[in-house]
Amino acid sequence: MRVRKELWFGFALMAVILVTVLVLTPWSNLFDGHMSKEDLGVLGLLMLALIVVAIMIGFPTAFTLMGMGVFFTWLAYNSVNPDLAVRQTLDVFVLRTYWVMSNDVLIAIPLFLFMGYLVERAQLIDRLFHSLHLATARVPGSLAVATIVTCAIFATATGIIGAVVTLMGLLALPAMLKAGYDVKFAAGAITAGGCLGILIPPSVLLIVYGAVAGVSVVQLYAGAFLPGFMLAGLYIGYIILFAKWKPHLMPPLAESERLVPLPPLSQRLAQQNRNAVAGLWRALTGPGSAGVAKRTVLGQFIVALLPALIIVAILGVTYLVTTAPEKVASTAGLVQTGGLTAAPLLEEEGKEPTGLIGAPEAEQEDSGVKEPPAEGVKEVAPPAAAEAAKPEVVEKPAAAEPERLPTPTWFWIVCGVAIALYAVRYRRFDWQRLEIFKRLLTSFFPLAILILGVLGSIVVGLATPAEAAAIGAFGGLVLAAAYRFIAHWQATGLNRRSPGAMIWRTTKELGTIVKESMFLTAKTSAMVCWLFVGSGIFATAFALLGGQAIVERWVLSLDMTPVQFMILAQFIIFILGWPLEWTEIIIIFMPIFIPLLPHFHIDPLFFGLLVALNLQTAFLSPPVAMAAFYLKGVSPPHVTLNQIFAGMMPFMGIQLLALVLLYVFPQIGLWLPSVFYK
Amino acid sequence: MQKLLLLVDKISTWVGQAFSICIVILTLHVSWEVFSRYALDNPRAWAFDFMIMMYGTLFMMAGAYTLAKNSHVRGDVLYGFFRPRTQAALDLTLYIIAFLPGVIALTYAGYYYAAESWAIRESSNITAGGPPYYPFKTVIPVAGAFLLLQGIVEIIRCIICLKQGEWPSREADVQEVDVDKLKEMVHVKDEDIQKLDALITSRRPGK
Repeated sequence: MRVRKELWFGFALMAVILVTVLVLTPWSNLFDGHMSKEDLGVLGLLMLALIVVAIMIGFPTAFTLMGMGVFFTWLAYNSVNPDLAVRQTLDVFVLRTYWVMSNDVLIAIPLFLFMGYLVERAQLIDRLFHSLHLATARVPGSLAVATIVTCAIFATATGIIGAVVTLMGLLALPAMLKAGYDVKFAAGAITAGGCLGILIPPSVLLIVYGAVAGVSVVQLYAGAFLPGFMLAGLYIGYIILFAKWKPHLMPPLAESERLVPLPPLSQRLAQQNRNAVAGLWRALTGPGSAGVAKRTVLGQFIVALLPALIIVAILGVTYLVTTAPEKVASTAGLVQTGGLTAAPLLEEEGKEPTGLIGAPEAEQEDSGVKEPPAEGVKEVAPPAAAEAAKPEVVEKPAAAEPERLPTPTWFWIVCGVAIALYAVRYRRFDWQRLEIFKRLLTSFFPLAILILGVLGSIVVGLATPAEAAAIGAFGGLVLAAAYRFIAHWQATGLNRRSPGAMIWRTTKELGTIVKESMFLTAKTSAMVCWLFVGSGIFATAFALLGGQAIVERWVLSLDMTPVQFMILAQFIIFILGWPLEWTEIIIIFMPIFIPLLPHFHIDPLFFGLLVALNLQTAFLSPPVAMAAFYLKGVSPPHVTLNQIFAGMMPFMGIQLLALVLLYVFPQIGLWLPSVFYK
Repeated sequence: MQKLLLLVDKISTWVGQAFSICIVILTLHVSWEVFSRYALDNPRAWAFDFMIMMYGTLFMMAGAYTLAKNSHVRGDVLYGFFRPRTQAALDLTLYIIAFLPGVIALTYAGYYYAAESWAIRESSNITAGGPPYYPFKTVIPVAGAFLLLQGIVEIIRCIICLKQGEWPSREADVQEVDVDKLKEMVHVKDEDIQKLDALITSRRPGK
């Protein structure tokens, strides 16, 4: 019976709107072309009301907008010159359509969608979740923390909230329930984490907003980066505090579940030395101890040192960049190694040779995952002169300027901190950690590198968002191919089958993956872009009728302060987020808000960040929270929707907190863009 | 009748799926272009025009396909609560007062827009000596026509539903969130979820 009541409420609301429309419509002079300006303006607002009713009824929004837009545009032109009205209406309609078709911002949408569908089908989420779960095992509430991190990474790469929530409902919910977690809390963590994807760039929402508001997508991405991670950080902080406070709701994992089975090599070496790095180093230099192949040991050793090598590479690049006009051939590589050898630890000694040989190694590792040229280009110089034996000679060809800038102090501080951190880290680096790190290496890092590569090349300016998206899609393809190949490889065993059959089967599966992703991309981008086509003509009608002017005059007459306006706007968007999807909110309603921003001296970039953060709540707020329904679809029957909603509430509270934080400290969002695009 | 409806569905689907290859071409084209620009130092002037064309064609031609699979975004506040007859009546009304005028206007206007472009053999206004644009502009009326065809089928569906009280069937298609496929992907079976349920019910009395 509750459903019926809601229905009647909806109908009553619609009836009220429709009656108002009927009463207020200037019928007498609607068609004979004698309408005053006020009449037209009123008509514009009535059109808006009609659209709201039509959307609530549930007809495909794109076509509602199109039909109404065409009709009201014709009305507006008709009131000026009836002879030309039809011609003008058609012209403006087709021009708006063509604007969508040839929009250089919107190109990125299908490409990012394609990337997302491919990454989703690479089927790496269970590896990702399990390795992250092991990696965070010591943190309180580790499973929930791992859930949030997995969601953040995976949702960011794919952007498909429904799929992420469903997958995590299948993976993380059983794991959390078995570990004795509270049902509500587990549901909240999954749903909240799954929605992070629309905020953390590269998100489609920000592209759509950029196209609507005329804000640079590049700046939006740079701006949304920190708020996105701030929100994820707040979630994690909340979970950890809560787990400390009420451990019975989130019991820590049993010791037995934290252990990772060690491969035979590690087991043998572990008996000799508890520290992995030291053990490997001894096995490498020692006289063929334990009877293991040195090549395998060397491989493990390099893997174990990979983070240090990457840090060295990053610091090296930073050093080169900050002291740009280069003359003195001192390099960070040398500096780093020197600093490390000074440390008295046994394992650090092992770093000296690898530190030097290993730097190119790290670069290979990076580009192996097919990342956009962000790294590649920066590091083209060193390999170009690779015949040189030592790194300090390598940079010489690039040097042309006589003076080198003095090294800033903060660089040395960062260096020192890095060395200290790694000294501590390697001191406690046992075999378990090596194993966990190897697992992360095959799940977490490829995705992270893909995302960072795409974002980095956009933000640094190597590629437009569309180009970076295309390379991301290509990277997704490579990722899918690689993971499917590994899966087949493991399934058939190493030597049992000929590689030909395996490659053939991988190719066939990859074909299906590409085909499915392709079709889904076509459908979803058609959905978004046809909405743009419809809203184009609708917005034209609204502007022609003068509805926009009336709204502006009305809002200005309220005489609000910028803060009041901002709160009102966000509140309206929050309310709209209940019944509508974010695509509709941004494409249809943003054009009404955006022209008001200059009156209140609000940066559209900042407003966009607030909106993106705000719309997170749209997925969690009860009446039509998509995330909750997706989770309900795959959870055990005794998990009720009410439990899921109750679990989401605290996370919604955190979202509001994040919104307030961002509003009070706009620098969280505006700092990065201001650094990059002065 | 049902056969005819499904045939039109199939045509729309086929066209949409055929043009969805554009996304693969677009991906490969742009990836190569970026590689060529930075690594080979050999950018091509028409690359951007080609990007635009692939993107525009992709989504325009998929319009009818999306409609055939009922995937255009709807405001699903009340719609889901309605009985099929009510849904059909509302849809039918809006198809006639909003969809038909809108799409007919688009097709008609697009036809003249493309015809003018053909008449002057228009080429790119972005690149000097760029590729011809009239085939790209022809996409508007063609996509509009397919959409109109599919829209008429949808109107017939509404009428059938009004008569029978239930929606005529559609052919299945790849879904964005296909729960069964996702279950298979992470190796979760329905039994596992059932077992989990026992865990919850057993825990409750203890609390």
